[in-house]
Amino acid sequence: MLGALLYLRLTSLKNITLSRLRRLKQPKYFLGALAGIAYIYFIFYRQLSGGSTALAGLPAGLSEGLAPTFDLTATLSVFGALVLLVIVLFTWALPKEKPGLPFSEAEIAFLFPAPISRRRLIHFRLLGAQIRILFSAVIFTLISRGWSFLGGGALTHVLGWWLILTTLNLHFTGAALTINRHIDNGANPAIRRWLILAGVALLLLVSVLSISNAAPPFPEGNIGPTDFFSWLARSMDRGVLYWLLIPGKLVIAPFLAANSAEFFRTVGPAALILIGHYCWVARQETSFEEASIAYAEKRAARLARLEDGTYRLGQDKVKVRREPFSLRVPGRAEVAFLWKNLLGTLPYFHARVWLGCALLTCVTVPWIVGGEHQKTGASIIITLTAIFFAYTLLLGPQLARQDLRSDLPHADILKTYPLAGWQIILGEILTPIAILTGLLWLNLLALVLALSPMADKIAWLTPSFRLTASLCIGAVIPVLCALQLLIPNAAALLFPAWFQATRQRSGGIDVMGQRLIFVFGQFLVILLSLFPAVLGAALVIFASQWLIGASAAVVLGTLVALTILGAEVACGLWWLGERFEKFDLATELRP
Amino acid sequence: MIEVSGLSKRYGTFTAVRDLSFTVQPGEVLGLVGPNGAGKTSTLRSLAGIIPANAGRIHIGGVDLAADPVGAKRQLAFFPDEPRLFDYLTVRQHLNFVARIYGVADYATLAQPLLEELEIADKADQLPGELSRGMKQKLAIACGLLHSPSVMFFDEPLTGLDPLGIRRMKDSILSRARAGAAIVLSSHLLHLLEEVCSHVLILKKGEKIAHGTLAEISAQFAQGETGVSLEEIFIRATGGSEN
Repeated sequence: MLGALLYLRLTSLKNITLSRLRRLKQPKYFLGALAGIAYIYFIFYRQLSGGSTALAGLPAGLSEGLAPTFDLTATLSVFGALVLLVIVLFTWALPKEKPGLPFSEAEIAFLFPAPISRRRLIHFRLLGAQIRILFSAVIFTLISRGWSFLGGGALTHVLGWWLILTTLNLHFTGAALTINRHIDNGANPAIRRWLILAGVALLLLVSVLSISNAAPPFPEGNIGPTDFFSWLARSMDRGVLYWLLIPGKLVIAPFLAANSAEFFRTVGPAALILIGHYCWVARQETSFEEASIAYAEKRAARLARLEDGTYRLGQDKVKVRREPFSLRVPGRAEVAFLWKNLLGTLPYFHARVWLGCALLTCVTVPWIVGGEHQKTGASIIITLTAIFFAYTLLLGPQLARQDLRSDLPHADILKTYPLAGWQIILGEILTPIAILTGLLWLNLLALVLALSPMADKIAWLTPSFRLTASLCIGAVIPVLCALQLLIPNAAALLFPAWFQATRQRSGGIDVMGQRLIFVFGQFLVILLSLFPAVLGAALVIFASQWLIGASAAVVLGTLVALTILGAEVACGLWWLGERFEKFDLATELRP
Repeated sequence: MIEVSGLSKRYGTFTAVRDLSFTVQPGEVLGLVGPNGAGKTSTLRSLAGIIPANAGRIHIGGVDLAADPVGAKRQLAFFPDEPRLFDYLTVRQHLNFVARIYGVADYATLAQPLLEELEIADKADQLPGELSRGMKQKLAIACGLLHSPSVMFFDEPLTGLDPLGIRRMKDSILSRARAGAAIVLSSHLLHLLEEVCSHVLILKKGEKIAHGTLAEISAQFAQGETGVSLEEIFIRATGGSEN
């Protein structure tokens, strides 16, 4: 019987591979595949073939700084085990109802009525998961080979990842079956969940107490983020947590092994944990069919919404939400789109939440940077905010899609509205502009507050100049976001077939390449768009600061930049609006 | 009133609608019929300003759709075969959104009777996901009627409705026509034409085969016979095939 099930898996895999190869005849997939292969070659393969000398994957400065003082493997072991522990706790605490085993709707239709025992179905699930796990292990190895300070070889890394992922998969399956059995035996799902959450809370409390009592002394002097995380790992690896982290550390140990000898020494305990998990799963005879059907239906609905662009992270079930603001009539029609699209986002994107976060930032950041280890705190905040700022600005427009990209399935209805095309485009992009601007403003606030102690020591960075400069940057952010968002929306209108392809859940190297082309195109266009604004502002500031002072020059420069960026946004809106009015999805998607 | 002259719509080299001309006066209901691929939906979508026509002129209430699309669209409502609703907006919020788009200042006073007429007043705070297919259709209709359009386009209006829903939809179309609206609907269901339409336009491969009142069309294709059914007339008019 398992042979038939294995046949189903392997034949499906073969057919998927063939269909992916066949679609390479289409230029959009072929170019995407080329971009994907190039990306993998330059990012991963060159590292893999470049050998793995100690610390080779780190930037020179960092590796020199790390080698003598920092045991990264030990730190990673603690953090990795902690991640596994959190995943395991969530696996037990999250299910509000009977968790199903992840079968597809087709598998349910064919296999559940078939004369196959439950245990065989469970083994089918486990075998099916192996294909995905092996693929993931290879991908993760390609990524983690960049961290060549880990030691070990490609094979030990693949096997290490395989052990981690397979153990986790077995744990998910075992937990799902056990929870199903408990609920079948009359356990109240809500009480069960609260008991587990109470246990987790108690555990957290005991851990915090034991850490606070026996934490190692904080390193003296000005320390960097690496020293801080090393101290944090050593602090956590004590008391109750020390014992709870042991299974996780054992599972991770083969992956972190420095060489083959260490790998063979550590693989035994990890394999024992894996075998233990398998025995736990294999001996269970629990009804899972009903929950699996519900799970499959939910997943199919989620995937359908993902593909038509209406899916929102964390919102499997659409709920009635409080209105972000009262939509009065009459008024600007564009604002109606902002209102509508905000209703479709997560509830956290609300003015009160933003204000709360801003207040929290105003209180916590000065407290951190004004404390005993102010330089460490400030450097951590500046590093994190700088990374977040860059990611939000570059990748935010790809992720915040509460605009025309989500509303393309409604294009027919939008086009019957008595609005000019540019009004619809402007209305549609207002929501992601608001979200990204809010995030970037918060980030800017944290950055400015974290830099304050350092800036105090620089004479020309007077408080009034800092305030002026911050407000000027804050003023440019919404226009910059608007410009950024015009590009993916233009891509969706200009290349709808490409855009639709990048939304496919069934990825592949070609679809990955298509996404890369989109991101690269966005980056290129934004650089070209920014150039005149930056040049104009720089020239104005340089020429006028001698006459009117630095603060006034920055304000003048910002006005110039805003004018240029505003003109670009206006032109973009007008042009995209014209394009939208002529847009015919049926024609555009015709092969 | 709807005036169409020389309308053509092409998709690449394929011509979906060719040189179509007709007029629908206030109070008239024109049924667009034809085999699959005859160009019914393309015609309706061109009339509603959803897709640009390649040639010809369309006037909605005297306003040229190409020259002043916003002005023309203020007067029309389009009802697709599948109700296209926003997942995250309740019934009431849909109406609020549409009111702001169309600038219906007194929408609160208009919305409640409309919801009651369509029997969805008790669902006002529910999301589309919680509504049945028929209820969704009613919400789409409520959104379309809120700004009191003088021109309406229905694409397969009976799709997915139960017998009671079909009856109510027919009544709704007729009552809007009696109130002076010019209506165009496309359908495969010939009994709908008999009961609702004052005029019929038969399309085949994008071209007009026949246009007139039901009596005129019957006379044209009955060839002197009496008691010829509408189904038989349709088959004779279209030659009994899609090609």
